[in-house]
Amino acid sequence: MAKKGGYGIIEYKIGAGLKFLQMADVKKTVLFDRHAALAGKAQLVPFAGWMMPLWYKSISAEHEAVRKTAGLFDCTHMAVLKITGKNAADFLNILTTNDVSRLKPGKAQYSYILNSAGDIIDDCFVYCISDNDFMLVANAANEQKVKDWIGTVRSEHIQCDDSWQVDVADLKDESLPDARVDIALQGHASAQCLKSIFNVEIEGLKFSTFIQGEAEGVNVIIAATGYTGAKVAFELFVHPNRAGQLWDLILEKGKALGIVPCGLGARDSLRIEAGLPLYGHELAGDFNISPFQAGYGWAVKLQKENFTPTPIPTDRTILESPEKDSSAQSSIKSQSKLVCGFIGKKAVAKKAADFDTEVARLKFSGEKGVRPIRQLDGILNTDGRCIGYCLSSAAAGDKQIVLALIKKEYNTAGKIVGVYYLARNAGHIQQGRKERVIIGDLLTADIDGQVVERFEKF
Amino acid sequence: MASKNLLFTKDHEWVEINGDTATVGITDYAQHSLGEITFVELPAVSKQLNVHDVAAAVESSKAASDIYSPLKGQVSEVNDELSAKPELVNQDCYMAGWIFKLKTGAADTKHLMNASQYEEYLKTI
Repeated sequence: MAKKGGYGIIEYKIGAGLKFLQMADVKKTVLFDRHAALAGKAQLVPFAGWMMPLWYKSISAEHEAVRKTAGLFDCTHMAVLKITGKNAADFLNILTTNDVSRLKPGKAQYSYILNSAGDIIDDCFVYCISDNDFMLVANAANEQKVKDWIGTVRSEHIQCDDSWQVDVADLKDESLPDARVDIALQGHASAQCLKSIFNVEIEGLKFSTFIQGEAEGVNVIIAATGYTGAKVAFELFVHPNRAGQLWDLILEKGKALGIVPCGLGARDSLRIEAGLPLYGHELAGDFNISPFQAGYGWAVKLQKENFTPTPIPTDRTILESPEKDSSAQSSIKSQSKLVCGFIGKKAVAKKAADFDTEVARLKFSGEKGVRPIRQLDGILNTDGRCIGYCLSSAAAGDKQIVLALIKKEYNTAGKIVGVYYLARNAGHIQQGRKERVIIGDLLTADIDGQVVERFEKF
Repeated sequence: MASKNLLFTKDHEWVEINGDTATVGITDYAQHSLGEITFVELPAVSKQLNVHDVAAAVESSKAASDIYSPLKGQVSEVNDELSAKPELVNQDCYMAGWIFKLKTGAADTKHLMNASQYEEYLKTI
């Protein structure tokens, strides 16, 4: 046998296991030893350059634990950057699409980093620690790209003198005293567990806000954010040297509450079930899906204008596209003109209304013996006409949840849709099954289901 | 662990030969790394297969794998129970989780490994 599909955007070979660690570019997270002890060889896979657990016990058991009690996730591979200085907020407002001026210390916001063409470089969360101190959390798979882009923006897009102060640091660097990595604790039992460890009131903590806690000398930012659709959900940002201690503490205190460690498999199935997008699938990717198509137009603040809490230096300006504008740079500079609210704004504004497909959440039977729906399988209307494509799919109980890009007139809860399975092997192709379908093709549905609400909270 | 009488492929199929019939399944190592198997595609009975032809497929929520025929022969029987209970491959891969049987005639098995060779092979991957 030969394994073809893989977890999400990665391919993993059967039995490759720990051998991947011999590859120079696969890194261990600070929790790796715990994963190796908890999971058998086969469940550890390389993901975004990191050796990560795909599951410990089983994807379905871990998925269910988060919905019924709570689950603990190693997210220490994720990019955590520190943006500080008196112009940190200005800088983030130029770099990201959401309105950073609305943030106050203790609040966080979901946002996007776009390139000059308005295409998504990554989606991210921006946490306001204090007026001049922010934390930006981005996808592990995009870490280098985001860092490089920040460098480009600083050197080429923002023309400024020495009075402009922004410092960027990698908070995963354990040599920093205030270093931070991300561990997620998601599900109803999380609050009680954290309360027992940190003795803090967190039940009233609103989504996207955070507090700091301390226990046994471990300082933790406790943020009510997450990626599982759980109503009670936290991300814990802790010094990498203390991450293992926190991980052990949560599992120890959480044992009686039914809290279990969860791998990437459940992380993916939970976010799919909730309708949350993943970069490369429901954002950007093969179809270059915009935030508006994904249902996140609210995080792109086209109207934000007067966001600078500090005066703009007279010789500073922001260039929408430094390559194209290079000849005009000096004149723009002299006018001290703000060319754009954020990078990519002009281009993304055009995408705001101009799209005919959008991300939808679909539900199908997922009982044993039903072939799983896969990425790029065709979505059909009741006439058998292809109206879109599967972007991600997951098992949730006895159902399959699909996030699909479909023609937007079909994106209404209750609409009946079908799926056409693409050929998975040579035998299927011989039987006449297509390897690729496009919108408009006339096909026969292999399985019927329906459109459900775009998002679901649990 | 697998019976000492089984033969193995590098692709993690096992085969048990009884006279001119060979029973084929996937190894414990394979089912474990696939995770929860939710679908098994069985070959058509009487289909002719050469060594390494795609014979069947198993899918879990995170992976899809083709199963290759370890031997040349004609499919004589398939494990229909797997259509409704694909989890048998996880639960009992060497017995109740068998996938198909082949009429092989006098089978050439030189390319297959015995149990101890397969054990050694697993250490190298």
